[in-house]
Amino acid sequence: MGVLTQLVQNLRQRISRPLQYYYDVCVRCGACIDACHFYSYSRDPAHIPAYRVMLAKRLTQGGNGSNELVRWYRDLGMLDGRAVEELEKAMWECTGCRRCAVFCPFDLDTALMISAGRYTLLQEGIGPEMIAEIGNAEVSKGEIIDMIKDFYLEQVKSLEARLQEEFASDLQIPVEKEGARVLYVPLVGEHAIVPAAKIFHAAGEDWTLSLFTATNHSYFVGDMAKAKQAARWIVEEAKRLGVKVIAYPECGHATRTLFSFFEGWFGDEIAGIERVNILQLVADYLQEGRIRVQPGTFDVPLTYHDPCNLGRNGGIFEEPRLLIRSVATDFRELTPNRELNWCCGGGGGLVAAPEMKEVRMKAGRKKVEQIQRTGAKWVVTACENCKAQLRDLNEHYKLDVEIKGVIDLVADALVL
Amino acid sequence: MEVVAFLFYYITPYIAVAVFFGGIGYRLYRWWKRPPVTSHLSLYPRPRGRAGRLLDALVDVFTLKGLLRVNKPLWIGGFVMHLGLLLILIGHIRAFTDFYFLWDLLQWGEEQQHQFSAVAGTIAGILFTVPLFYLLARRWSGPVKWLSTPEDYFLLFLLITIALTGFHMRLLTRVAVDELHTFFRGLATFQWQPAPTSTGTAFIYHFAFVQILMVYFPFSKLMHTIGGMFSKMVARS
Repeated sequence: MGVLTQLVQNLRQRISRPLQYYYDVCVRCGACIDACHFYSYSRDPAHIPAYRVMLAKRLTQGGNGSNELVRWYRDLGMLDGRAVEELEKAMWECTGCRRCAVFCPFDLDTALMISAGRYTLLQEGIGPEMIAEIGNAEVSKGEIIDMIKDFYLEQVKSLEARLQEEFASDLQIPVEKEGARVLYVPLVGEHAIVPAAKIFHAAGEDWTLSLFTATNHSYFVGDMAKAKQAARWIVEEAKRLGVKVIAYPECGHATRTLFSFFEGWFGDEIAGIERVNILQLVADYLQEGRIRVQPGTFDVPLTYHDPCNLGRNGGIFEEPRLLIRSVATDFRELTPNRELNWCCGGGGGLVAAPEMKEVRMKAGRKKVEQIQRTGAKWVVTACENCKAQLRDLNEHYKLDVEIKGVIDLVADALVL
Repeated sequence: MEVVAFLFYYITPYIAVAVFFGGIGYRLYRWWKRPPVTSHLSLYPRPRGRAGRLLDALVDVFTLKGLLRVNKPLWIGGFVMHLGLLLILIGHIRAFTDFYFLWDLLQWGEEQQHQFSAVAGTIAGILFTVPLFYLLARRWSGPVKWLSTPEDYFLLFLLITIALTGFHMRLLTRVAVDELHTFFRGLATFQWQPAPTSTGTAFIYHFAFVQILMVYFPFSKLMHTIGGMFSKMVARS
């Protein structure tokens, strides 16, 4: 069976109700042409969101029997290889930012189709397999957690000791604390733990650190079964400890899984457990007076980049702005911003795929122009993906800016 | 030729109506049997509450406010065309019955009714037709060309043809609405009545192309009239 035939069958199985609407509803008006940061540099039709939908639709719809379909496709002048090549470009050179969905008069969600397409392509070994490999590691982490737990606890203890010396002598980083109110799920590396630990300490929060990480690379490649399995470890931990709140770190796609998918995946299992991003928690602390910050701690001109998965896909627009304004004097908005903000060009897992670097740098050009127009010296954001991409852009385009996290700013401006 | 005209007057209208409603039913069934997704595919900012989201989606359907924000030329083309279409569809109620209550209220005689219809109908026709040419030109130029399929051109040409035959009747003949009432009521009750004569030959072309549109409708992108609302609600789920 040819690659294309297999693709057609796999794609067909993934056609859900919304996807069927999208296939049938798209009028190819072209409103999405101006939305895509990939198309903005390439002028390649395979980067137009509606064209991506057309490609997938052409493969999966019309007539019975996929062999016949494949022949039809080839007859149109599309050789098997070229069709796959175009499909590969359409499916992988996308950050799933859903800016095109905001532009679309029918709110068609291209990312849903990309997700199905990616999964299908990867089954055939087409695409950056690195992302899938990291995803697999996240899935199996739950099985080997007992083996690596002692090492992890040791690391946390030494970090705790260091923070006690540097920050506050009674600061604690609790792990596996039963009955804690908040389960904070970090990222790999201490940079996602340190500022959170400081803020939790200052707020007097009853929290505990998760043994797992929030990232979910299986979600990037559209493997929803594995994505669910990776998230299950966290849900089980939350239930075992009896926490009231699951808090996710400054990470866009993980927050999206938490907000958009957890309910469908786990249903009653997570009923009664609040699901928040750390920005929401910290903004609440500030408004309730549980933490205090030194106003005007930072007087450099700075701007905020709305990560796609927190902004238009997660509804977190005002919390980061509130936090930044509380500690900085010269805050400048990017134009456009909020739900119309340009994607940084690194989303959809592309940052984790070395072979995508060149494409990423080109796709980030819109972002670079936006940043330059503000004249900001610091670019503040709240997504690990965006931060990595912005750092690369900074280096590549010699922007001479610094990339910061929102909670880093708050942690540095804390008044104990 | 007379045989063809006879078919389009008295036979195919039943097929067109049956295919139109049957086809839409089939498409609805096809959507319904697909598995729903369990995730929230929401786009933010979104209104609070079910009623708020429904209202927001409806406002968006009737104003295309989302499109207005990002692409003004396309909004003008799309919105004005649809507005003209809506006015035309309302106006066509006169082909089947009449706005008796309105005429009574305004105390307008037949001449005034005709003059009002002539002005309003012509304006609506222009609102509908001019944007169609803009949309067609758009398809021929720039990146939209890559997105244009034979279906898109076919529909634009079909709509333009229907509009032009409509203009022919509106501007070059004086249609006696009583004739139309008799004819359509005859079709509806299976008691065939003579075809209207005051309309000239344009009527049969107009009527035939509308039937072709009705048959094609359920199998085309025109299903966005119904599916668009569904997909908007998905984005607000």
